[in-house]
Amino acid sequence: MRSSDKSDYALRGVSYLVVTVFTIFCLLPFVLIVSASVSEESQIMEHGFGLLPRGFSLTAYEFIFKSPRQLIGSYVVTITMTVFGTAIGLLIIAMTGYALQRKDFPLRNGISFFIYFTTLFSAGLAPTYLWVARELGLRGNYLAVFLQLLMTPWLIILMKNFVRSVPNEITESGKVDGAGDFRIFLRLILPMMKPALATTGLFLALGYWNEWYLSSLYLGSTVEFKPLQYYLYNVINTANALKSSMAGNNVTVTQLPTNTLKMASAVVATGPIVLLYPFVQRYFVSGITVGAVKG
Amino acid sequence: MAIQLDARRVRSGESRPAGDGRDRLRRIGHSKTLIIMCLPAILFFLVFAYAPLPGSWIAFTNFNYHDGIFGSPFVGLRNFEFLAKSGQLWKLTRNTLLYNVAFIVLGNIVQIAVAIMLNEIRSKYFKKVSQAVMFLPYFISVVLVGVIAFNLLNYDTGALNALIERTGGDPIKIYSQAGLWPFIIVLFHLWQSTGYGSIVYFAAILSIDSTLFEAAAIDGASAWQRTRYVILPSLKPTFIILLLFSLGGIMRGNFGLFWNLVGNNATLYDTTDIIETSVYRMIISQNNFTTSTAVGLYQSLFGFALVMLCNWLVRRVNEDYALF
Amino acid sequence: MNKKIVRIGAAFAALTLSLGSAACSDSEDSGKPTKISMMVLGDKPSNGRLEAMLKVLNARLTEQANATLEPHYIEWADWQTQYNVALLSGDTSLDLITTATDWLFAWENAQKGAFLPLSADMLKKEAPKTWAQVDAKGDWDLTKLDDGQIYFIPEDNYTQWTNHGFFYRGDWAKSAGIPDGTITKFEQFTQYFQWVKKNKPKAYPWDVAKQNEGALTGYLQGHTDWVTLQEVSTSSYYPFQIDNSGATPKVTSWYYSSDQLLPAVTQTKQWNDLGVWREDALNYDGNTREEMYAGLSGTEQHHTQTFVTQVVDTMTKKQPGSDPKMFYWGQENGNVYRDIKTHGAMAVSANSKHPEKALQVYDLIRNDKTDYDLLNFGIEGTDYVLTADGKLDHPKGWDISKDALDSNFWGGRMDEFEPTKVTDAPNKADIYKGLDAVAKVYPFSTLRVKKDQIDPTLTAIGGVFSEYIPQLQYGKVKDPAATIAEMRKKLKDAGFEDALKSIQADVDEWSKTHKAK
Repeated sequence: MRSSDKSDYALRGVSYLVVTVFTIFCLLPFVLIVSASVSEESQIMEHGFGLLPRGFSLTAYEFIFKSPRQLIGSYVVTITMTVFGTAIGLLIIAMTGYALQRKDFPLRNGISFFIYFTTLFSAGLAPTYLWVARELGLRGNYLAVFLQLLMTPWLIILMKNFVRSVPNEITESGKVDGAGDFRIFLRLILPMMKPALATTGLFLALGYWNEWYLSSLYLGSTVEFKPLQYYLYNVINTANALKSSMAGNNVTVTQLPTNTLKMASAVVATGPIVLLYPFVQRYFVSGITVGAVKG
Repeated sequence: MAIQLDARRVRSGESRPAGDGRDRLRRIGHSKTLIIMCLPAILFFLVFAYAPLPGSWIAFTNFNYHDGIFGSPFVGLRNFEFLAKSGQLWKLTRNTLLYNVAFIVLGNIVQIAVAIMLNEIRSKYFKKVSQAVMFLPYFISVVLVGVIAFNLLNYDTGALNALIERTGGDPIKIYSQAGLWPFIIVLFHLWQSTGYGSIVYFAAILSIDSTLFEAAAIDGASAWQRTRYVILPSLKPTFIILLLFSLGGIMRGNFGLFWNLVGNNATLYDTTDIIETSVYRMIISQNNFTTSTAVGLYQSLFGFALVMLCNWLVRRVNEDYALF
Repeated sequence: MNKKIVRIGAAFAALTLSLGSAACSDSEDSGKPTKISMMVLGDKPSNGRLEAMLKVLNARLTEQANATLEPHYIEWADWQTQYNVALLSGDTSLDLITTATDWLFAWENAQKGAFLPLSADMLKKEAPKTWAQVDAKGDWDLTKLDDGQIYFIPEDNYTQWTNHGFFYRGDWAKSAGIPDGTITKFEQFTQYFQWVKKNKPKAYPWDVAKQNEGALTGYLQGHTDWVTLQEVSTSSYYPFQIDNSGATPKVTSWYYSSDQLLPAVTQTKQWNDLGVWREDALNYDGNTREEMYAGLSGTEQHHTQTFVTQVVDTMTKKQPGSDPKMFYWGQENGNVYRDIKTHGAMAVSANSKHPEKALQVYDLIRNDKTDYDLLNFGIEGTDYVLTADGKLDHPKGWDISKDALDSNFWGGRMDEFEPTKVTDAPNKADIYKGLDAVAKVYPFSTLRVKKDQIDPTLTAIGGVFSEYIPQLQYGKVKDPAATIAEMRKKLKDAGFEDALKSIQADVDEWSKTHKAK
C-alpha cells in the first residue's frame, strides 16, 4: 500500500507540473495577441509585438466598434450554423453510429467501409467545386458550407466506437419489450450516450465555428455576412496575400489593415467563444461523468 | 471487401450467417429501420463525397470551361509530368511522410499523456481551467500562428532573441537555420492539436469501468501499474481508429501551418517543404485545377497503398489486429 | 420499403435542388431593368458609399439602357482562389469580368473558354463608342486569339506607368554624398544604404517584406537591353526575356542565361551582409510603406503610379522635407517600356445571359462622362469635390480608411475623364514627360505563345524559381556563383531549354507577320 501511495503522489505531482507548464505554453500567444491589439501602432512598427503592450491605445477597438454591423452579422451567421449544424449532425451521426455497431445488422461492415473509403479518396477541389457549385447550384449559398460540415467519417466511426460501451443487453431488453429499433435508439440508447454526444458535439461545433475554407470557396463576397472566421481571415490575410502574389506588383492598394487592427479583430472574433467555453465545458464534463458512472 | 472498423476485433460470438443469399436478404429486410437510420449519412457521403469522384478525370485532361470535365481533350499523364520534372518529388514525399509520422507518433503520445495527467488532477477548478486553456490554440487562425511565430522567433525584434540578448547570449538567426525547423513545426503542431486531441482520450479514460480501478487498488497496484495495465489498454481501440484515419492521409500535409510558418523562405525548404506547399507555389495564381487534382490523386493512391500494405503486414503478424 | 427510401432520397434531393435553384432564378422581363454584374478586384466596401453611388448611377443606367450595374468583388485575402472559382463555377449571373494579360491570365482564360468571343458587328452595335475609340487606335488586334476573334476590350486609352523602381529620400541621399541627392545608377543605392545604416539607427535602409525581386530585376534591367516577355509567367515570376538587339528577336532569360545575374546577386549579398533589410525579411509581413512614411525605412519598392498618386503626397505630409524621389528600373540605360494596353481589360463572360446588355452598360460607364464620374469618383459633394482650379479633392473630414468608394473599375478608364487629383505629386507631369521621352512601346503584345505544350515544364520551372529566387533576391547564399549554377542546372533538368525552343518557334512564326521594332 505504501509504495502505491508514493507513486500516486509522484504521478499527481508530475501531472500538476506538466499541465501547468503546458497551460502557460498555450496561454502565451494569447497574451501576445491581446497585448498587441492594445499597443500603439507606431511602437509595433518599430519593435514588433511584446508580451506587454507597447504603449497603450484602443484605436483599433474604436475603429472596429464604430461600425460593428459586419461583425455582428458574422456572429449571427456562425452561431446559427453552429447550433443547427451541431444538432442535426449529432442526431445523424448518433443514429448511424448506433446502427453500425449493432451486431445483428448485416450491412454494417459494408456501410462502414463505404464511409471510411471517402477518407482515402476525395475528388479534389475542382471536381467537388464543379459538382457542388454548378450541379447542385450552391454557389453563394450558406447551405454549401452548412451541409458539407454536417458530418465526417471520423466522427461517425468514433461514435460507433463510443456506442460499444453501452451494454448490448439494453438493446436486447428493448427488443423483448417489443420496441422498434428507432424507439430503442431514441428512448434507451441516446440517454446513455451523453459522453459520446458531448465529445462528438464539441468536435462538430468546433468544425462549424472554425470554418473559413469552404466559405472562401463557395461564399466569397457573394453574401452580405461572412462566417466569423472567414471574416477574420479576410482582415488578417489581405496584406499577406498581396505580398506573396502578382497582384502586389500590379495594383496600388490604398489602405491595408494595421497590425493592431488585425490583432484586435482576432480578439473580438475569438474572445467571446473563449469566455463562453467554460460554460459549455461544464455540461460537457458533467455529461462525461454521468456517462462514465453508468458505463 | 468488408472492413472491421471496430478496433476491438470481434473474435467469436457472432458467427457469419451460414444460410444462402436469400437468408441474408431476409436478414437485411429485418433491419430496415437500421438501414433507414443510416440513410441520411449514406446520402450525405453519396452526394458530397462519391458524386464528385468521377470528376477526378479532370487530372487527365486539358480542361476547358466550355467542354467541361468529360468533354475536354484527354492528355494522358501530362499533368503529372511536372512532379517528376521539378526533381523534387523524392524530397517532398520524404518530408511529408516524416512530418506525418512525427505528428502521429508524438501527437498521440502527448495527447494520451495529457489526458492521463488531467485525470490525475483532483482539483476540479484547476482541471477545468487548464483544459479550457489548452483548447485555446485551436481557436487561433493559422494565419495568426505565423504572425505569432515571427514575433517570437525573428532575429531583429523577436521576443526569444530579446531574451537571449538580455541574458548575455548571442541572438540566433532562426529563420535561416533549416535544421531547427522540424522541431519548431512539430512543436507548433503539438501546441495547436494537443488540447483538441486529448479530449477523445480523456473521454475514453472517463468511461473506463470504475470497478477496474477499485480492483487495481485492492491489488495494491502502483500508479504506474494502474496506468500500464488499466488505462493504456482501454485507450488502444481509440488509438487504432485514430491511426487508421491518419494513415490514409499520410501523404497530405497541414498546408496552413507550414505555409504560414515558412512561406517563401526558401532557405528552409530542405527540411520544411511538403507536397502541398511546393505545389501551391508552383501553381499559385494560375488556375491550374488539373495539376492540383493530379497531385491529389498521387497523394490518395499513395495513402491507399500504404493502408493496404500496413494492413497486410499486420495481418501477417497478428490477424486480430488487422483492420480489414 | 424501397419506395420509402426512394421517397426520402428524392425529397432530400429536391430540397437541395430547390434551395439551389431558388438562388438563381432570374427571369428576363423586358419591362424590368436587366441586372449586369461586373467582377472587380478589391475589398468590398461596407461603408454604404458604394450603394449610395450605385443608386444614382443605376437610375441613370435604367433610363439609358434599361439596365443596372452590380459590382461583384474578388477580395484580396484569397483573390486567386476567388477569381478562379468564379470562372470555374460558370456562374450565369456574372456578365462582365475584369481581366489583364500580364497578371490576370487573360489569354489562358480566353483559351479555356471563360470569355465570350466578341464579333465586330456586336461591338459596333452594342458598344459603338468603345468600338470606335479602340478601333481608331488600332488596338483590337491586341485582344485577338489565333482564331482572329476579339476576347476582351482593352483599357487602351488610359495612361498609367506601372514600371517599377525604388522610392527613396532625397534628403538622405544628399547627406549620403550623392550629387543633388538624385540617384542615377542602381549601384548608387549601396552608398545610400550605407549612409542610412550608419546614420539612421532606427531605420532600415530598405525595409522589405516577403516576395520582392526588385534587387535582382532592377539590376538586370539596367545592365542588359533585354525586355521581359509579359505573355509567359509561372509561379510569381516572369521567366523569359527577349534580346531584341539582333536582326530577329531572340528568346532568352535573365535567370537562366545572363552574365549579369552574378554581379546582381553579389550585390544583394553585399546588401544583406550590410543589413539593408531585416534579417528575416522573407517572413516579415509588416506594411513597409507605412514604415517609410514613419521614417523607419529609407526605401520602398513599387511602381510609378503608386509614387505619384500616394507616396509623394504622404511623405511630404508625414516626413516634411524628405524630398521623396523615384529611381526606376532601366533608368541608366533607357531600357524601359510603356505599359501594355491590356494591363487592364474587360471581358464578357461566356455564361452571361445578356451579353448585349452587358456591352451597352460597359459602353456607358466607359464613355458617358456623368456615368464615368459616378462610378469612379462617386457623388460630388459627399465623395469628392472639385477645387477652383479643377482638381479632384475630397470633402472635409473625409477619411480614406473609412470613406473610400472602392469601385475599382480597372477595365476601361479614360484619360480625358481623369482629373488631376490634389494628392497627385506636383511633378507628376514632369515625371510622365520624362518617361515618355525614353520609354519604348512593348512590341510583343500581339504574340500568342502556345502554352499548352510547355505547361508542365513551366510549372516545374516555377517550382525551381520559387526555391532559388527568394534566396538570391535577399543575397542569402554563401557562394553566389555556385548557387546560380545549381539553379541553372535544375532549370535545365526541368526542361528550360525545351520551353525556350518552343517559345522561340512562336516568336519566329510571329516575326513573319509582325515587326519587333
